Amino acid sequence: MLLEMLGVAALVFGVFFCAVGVIGVIRMPDTLSRLHASGKVAILGLFGLLIGAALLVPATALRLLVLGLFVLLTSPVATHAIAAAVHRRREIAQQLDEEHAAGAAEADMPYSVDVTAVLARSQLDEIMEALERTQQRRDPTDTE
Amino acid sequence: MIESEFAQSAVSLILLAMVILLIPASYRVVVGPSLPDRLSAVDLITTLLVGIIVLLALIEETPVVVEMAIALAAFAFVGTITIARYISEGRYF
Repeated sequence: MLLEMLGVAALVFGVFFCAVGVIGVIRMPDTLSRLHASGKVAILGLFGLLIGAALLVPATALRLLVLGLFVLLTSPVATHAIAAAVHRRREIAQQLDEEHAAGAAEADMPYSVDVTAVLARSQLDEIMEALERTQQRRDPTDTE
Repeated sequence: MIESEFAQSAVSLILLAMVILLIPASYRVVVGPSLPDRLSAVDLITTLLVGIIVLLALIEETPVVVEMAIALAAFAFVGTITIARYISEGRYF
Protein backbone atom coordinates (compact mmCIF):
# COMPACT_ATOMS: atom_id res chain seq x y z
CA MET A 1 0.00 0.00 0.00
CA LEU A 2 2.82 2.38 0.87
CA LEU A 3 4.62 1.41 -2.34
CA GLU A 4 1.46 2.16 -4.31
CA MET A 5 1.08 5.57 -2.71
CA LEU A 6 4.73 6.37 -3.47
CA GLY A 7 4.33 5.14 -7.04
CA VAL A 8 1.24 7.26 -7.67
CA ALA A 9 3.03 10.27 -6.16
CA ALA A 10 5.99 9.74 -8.52
CA LEU A 11 3.61 9.40 -11.48
CA VAL A 12 1.91 12.68 -10.52
CA PHE A 13 5.35 14.32 -10.21
CA GLY A 14 6.25 13.09 -13.69
CA VAL A 15 3.04 14.20 -15.37
CA PHE A 16 3.30 17.58 -13.62
CA PHE A 17 6.74 18.17 -15.12
CA CYS A 18 5.51 16.93 -18.53
CA ALA A 19 2.75 19.56 -18.38
CA VAL A 20 5.23 22.24 -17.28
CA GLY A 21 7.55 21.36 -20.17
CA VAL A 22 4.77 21.39 -22.78
CA ILE A 23 3.47 24.74 -21.51
CA GLY A 24 7.04 26.08 -21.65
CA VAL A 25 7.49 24.84 -25.22
CA ILE A 26 4.34 26.71 -26.23
CA ARG A 27 4.86 29.94 -24.27
CA MET A 28 8.63 30.55 -24.41
CA PRO A 29 9.68 33.29 -26.85
CA ASP A 30 12.94 31.85 -28.16
CA THR A 31 14.12 28.60 -29.72
CA LEU A 32 16.80 28.01 -27.10
CA SER A 33 14.34 28.72 -24.26
CA ARG A 34 11.98 26.18 -25.81
CA LEU A 35 14.81 23.65 -25.86
CA HIS A 36 15.36 24.32 -22.16
CA ALA A 37 11.70 23.63 -21.44
CA SER A 38 11.63 20.41 -23.47
CA GLY A 39 14.69 19.15 -21.58
CA LYS A 40 12.59 19.25 -18.41
CA VAL A 41 10.14 16.79 -19.98
CA ALA A 42 12.92 14.41 -21.02
CA ILE A 43 14.61 14.16 -17.62
CA LEU A 44 12.25 15.17 -14.78
CA GLY A 45 8.94 14.19 -16.40
CA LEU A 46 9.98 10.88 -17.91
CA PHE A 47 12.01 9.86 -14.84
CA GLY A 48 9.05 10.57 -12.57
CA LEU A 49 6.95 8.28 -14.75
CA LEU A 50 9.66 5.58 -14.80
CA ILE A 51 10.14 5.60 -11.02
CA GLY A 52 6.39 5.52 -10.47
CA ALA A 53 5.99 2.58 -12.85
CA ALA A 54 8.85 0.69 -11.18
CA LEU A 55 7.24 1.19 -7.77
CA LEU A 56 3.76 0.16 -8.97
CA VAL A 57 4.79 -2.94 -10.95
CA PRO A 58 8.21 -4.18 -9.74
CA ALA A 59 8.37 -6.78 -12.55
CA THR A 60 9.12 -3.99 -15.03
CA ALA A 61 11.93 -2.45 -12.94
CA LEU A 62 14.86 -3.90 -14.91
CA ARG A 63 13.54 -2.82 -18.31
CA LEU A 64 12.65 0.60 -16.91
CA LEU A 65 16.20 0.92 -15.59
CA VAL A 66 17.59 0.20 -19.06
CA LEU A 67 15.19 2.72 -20.61
CA GLY A 68 16.13 5.33 -17.99
CA LEU A 69 19.86 4.88 -18.57
CA PHE A 70 19.32 5.13 -22.34
CA VAL A 71 17.27 8.33 -22.05
CA LEU A 72 19.82 9.76 -19.61
CA LEU A 73 22.56 9.18 -22.20
CA THR A 74 20.77 10.24 -25.39
CA SER A 75 18.50 13.14 -24.40
CA PRO A 76 21.29 15.67 -23.61
CA VAL A 77 23.11 14.67 -26.80
CA ALA A 78 20.01 15.30 -28.93
CA THR A 79 19.30 18.63 -27.21
CA HIS A 80 22.90 19.68 -27.70
CA ALA A 81 22.74 18.79 -31.39
CA ILE A 82 19.62 20.94 -31.88
CA ALA A 83 21.16 23.84 -29.94
CA ALA A 84 24.34 23.63 -32.02
CA ALA A 85 22.21 23.71 -35.18
CA VAL A 86 20.41 26.85 -33.95
CA HIS A 87 23.73 28.50 -33.13
CA ARG A 88 25.17 27.63 -36.53
CA ARG A 89 22.14 29.09 -38.32
CA ARG A 90 22.50 32.33 -36.38
CA GLU A 91 26.20 32.52 -37.20
CA ILE A 92 25.46 32.02 -40.89
CA ALA A 93 22.76 34.71 -40.91
CA GLN A 94 25.04 37.17 -39.12
CA GLN A 95 27.93 36.46 -41.48
CA LEU A 96 25.69 36.97 -44.50
CA ASP A 97 24.41 40.24 -43.05
CA GLU A 98 27.95 41.52 -42.66
CA GLU A 99 28.92 40.42 -46.16
CA HIS A 100 25.89 42.09 -47.71
CA ALA A 101 26.49 45.26 -45.69
CA ALA A 102 30.12 45.34 -46.86
CA GLY A 103 29.02 44.80 -50.46
CA ALA A 104 26.44 47.58 -50.13
CA ALA A 105 29.06 49.95 -48.70
CA GLU A 106 31.34 49.25 -51.63
CA ALA A 107 28.60 49.74 -54.19
CA ASP A 108 27.22 52.80 -52.33
CA MET A 109 23.71 51.40 -51.89
CA PRO A 110 22.60 52.40 -48.40
CA TYR A 111 19.11 50.93 -48.70
CA SER A 112 20.24 47.35 -49.24
CA VAL A 113 21.19 46.98 -45.56
CA ASP A 114 17.50 47.11 -44.69
CA VAL A 115 16.81 44.57 -47.42
CA THR A 116 19.32 42.10 -45.98
CA ALA A 117 17.90 42.57 -42.46
CA VAL A 118 14.44 41.66 -43.75
CA LEU A 119 15.94 38.70 -45.58
CA ALA A 120 17.72 37.45 -42.47
CA ARG A 121 14.51 37.51 -40.50
CA SER A 122 12.10 36.00 -42.97
CA GLN A 123 13.98 33.91 -45.53
CA LEU A 124 16.61 32.00 -43.61
CA ASP A 125 16.24 28.93 -45.80
CA GLU A 126 17.15 30.79 -48.98
CA ILE A 127 20.08 32.33 -47.13
CA MET A 128 21.26 28.87 -46.11
CA GLU A 129 21.17 27.73 -49.74
CA ALA A 130 23.02 30.85 -50.89
CA LEU A 131 25.70 30.28 -48.26
CA GLU A 132 26.09 26.69 -49.34
CA ARG A 133 26.67 27.83 -52.91
CA THR A 134 29.26 30.41 -51.83
CA GLN A 135 31.06 27.86 -49.66
CA GLN A 136 31.21 25.42 -52.54
CA ARG A 137 32.70 28.19 -54.71
CA ARG A 138 35.28 29.13 -52.10
CA ASP A 139 36.88 25.84 -51.08
CA PRO A 140 36.52 23.09 -53.66
CA THR A 141 38.65 20.81 -51.45
CA ASP A 142 35.72 20.27 -49.03
CA THR A 143 34.56 16.90 -50.27
CA GLU A 144 31.75 14.83 -48.87
CA MET B 1 0.40 -6.06 -10.58
CA ILE B 2 -1.76 -3.15 -9.54
CA GLU B 3 -4.46 -4.34 -7.14
CA SER B 4 -6.09 -1.35 -5.51
CA GLU B 5 -8.85 0.55 -7.26
CA PHE B 6 -7.22 3.88 -6.40
CA ALA B 7 -3.93 3.12 -8.14
CA GLN B 8 -5.70 1.80 -11.24
CA SER B 9 -7.85 4.89 -11.65
CA ALA B 10 -4.87 7.15 -10.93
CA VAL B 11 -2.82 5.47 -13.67
CA SER B 12 -5.73 5.79 -16.10
CA LEU B 13 -6.14 9.50 -15.32
CA ILE B 14 -2.42 10.13 -15.74
CA LEU B 15 -2.45 8.30 -19.08
CA LEU B 16 -5.35 10.52 -20.20
CA ALA B 17 -3.40 13.62 -19.15
CA MET B 18 -0.35 12.50 -21.13
CA VAL B 19 -2.44 11.89 -24.25
CA ILE B 20 -4.03 15.34 -23.88
CA LEU B 21 -0.53 16.87 -23.57
CA LEU B 22 0.25 15.60 -27.09
CA ILE B 23 -2.13 18.17 -28.62
CA PRO B 24 -0.36 21.37 -27.43
CA ALA B 25 3.00 19.77 -28.26
CA SER B 26 1.90 19.18 -31.86
CA TYR B 27 0.79 22.86 -31.98
CA ARG B 28 4.48 23.78 -31.88
CA VAL B 29 5.20 21.32 -34.71
CA VAL B 30 2.56 22.94 -36.92
CA VAL B 31 3.21 26.64 -36.29
CA GLY B 32 6.84 26.52 -35.16
CA PRO B 33 8.52 29.51 -36.80
CA SER B 34 11.75 27.74 -37.71
CA LEU B 35 13.01 24.25 -38.50
CA PRO B 36 14.83 23.69 -35.15
CA ASP B 37 11.57 24.56 -33.35
CA ARG B 38 9.70 21.84 -35.19
CA LEU B 39 12.53 19.37 -34.63
CA SER B 40 12.62 19.98 -30.88
CA ALA B 41 8.83 19.71 -30.73
CA VAL B 42 8.95 16.33 -32.53
CA ASP B 43 11.58 15.23 -30.00
CA LEU B 44 9.28 16.36 -27.19
CA ILE B 45 6.36 14.40 -28.69
CA THR B 46 8.53 11.28 -28.85
CA THR B 47 9.46 11.68 -25.18
CA LEU B 48 5.78 11.99 -24.30
CA LEU B 49 5.07 8.85 -26.37
CA VAL B 50 7.74 6.93 -24.44
CA GLY B 51 5.98 7.93 -21.21
CA ILE B 52 2.61 6.89 -22.67
CA ILE B 53 3.99 3.47 -23.64
CA VAL B 54 5.34 2.98 -20.09
CA LEU B 55 1.90 3.82 -18.68
CA LEU B 56 0.28 1.40 -21.16
CA ALA B 57 2.65 -1.31 -19.92
CA LEU B 58 1.38 -0.57 -16.40
CA ILE B 59 -2.26 -0.82 -17.42
CA GLU B 60 -1.88 -3.89 -19.63
CA GLU B 61 0.34 -5.49 -16.97
CA THR B 62 2.79 -6.79 -19.58
CA PRO B 63 6.38 -5.74 -18.86
CA VAL B 64 7.50 -6.63 -22.41
CA VAL B 65 5.77 -3.50 -23.72
CA VAL B 66 8.54 -1.40 -22.13
CA GLU B 67 10.98 -2.76 -24.72
CA MET B 68 8.86 -1.01 -27.35
CA ALA B 69 9.56 2.26 -25.53
CA ILE B 70 13.31 1.51 -25.60
CA ALA B 71 13.17 0.94 -29.37
CA LEU B 72 11.17 4.16 -29.88
CA ALA B 73 13.70 6.15 -27.84
CA ALA B 74 16.58 4.69 -29.87
CA PHE B 75 15.02 5.52 -33.25
CA ALA B 76 14.04 9.00 -32.06
CA PHE B 77 17.63 9.64 -31.01
CA VAL B 78 19.01 8.65 -34.40
CA GLY B 79 16.41 10.73 -36.25
CA THR B 80 16.93 13.82 -34.11
CA ILE B 81 20.71 13.71 -34.48
CA THR B 82 20.42 13.23 -38.25
CA ILE B 83 17.99 16.11 -38.82
CA ALA B 84 19.93 18.42 -36.48
CA ARG B 85 23.05 17.67 -38.49
CA TYR B 86 21.11 18.38 -41.68
CA ILE B 87 20.04 21.76 -40.30
CA SER B 88 23.52 22.79 -39.23
CA GLU B 89 25.65 21.33 -42.03
CA GLY B 90 23.28 21.13 -44.99
CA ARG B 91 23.96 17.44 -45.53
CA TYR B 92 23.14 14.26 -43.68
CA PHE B 93 26.47 12.55 -42.91
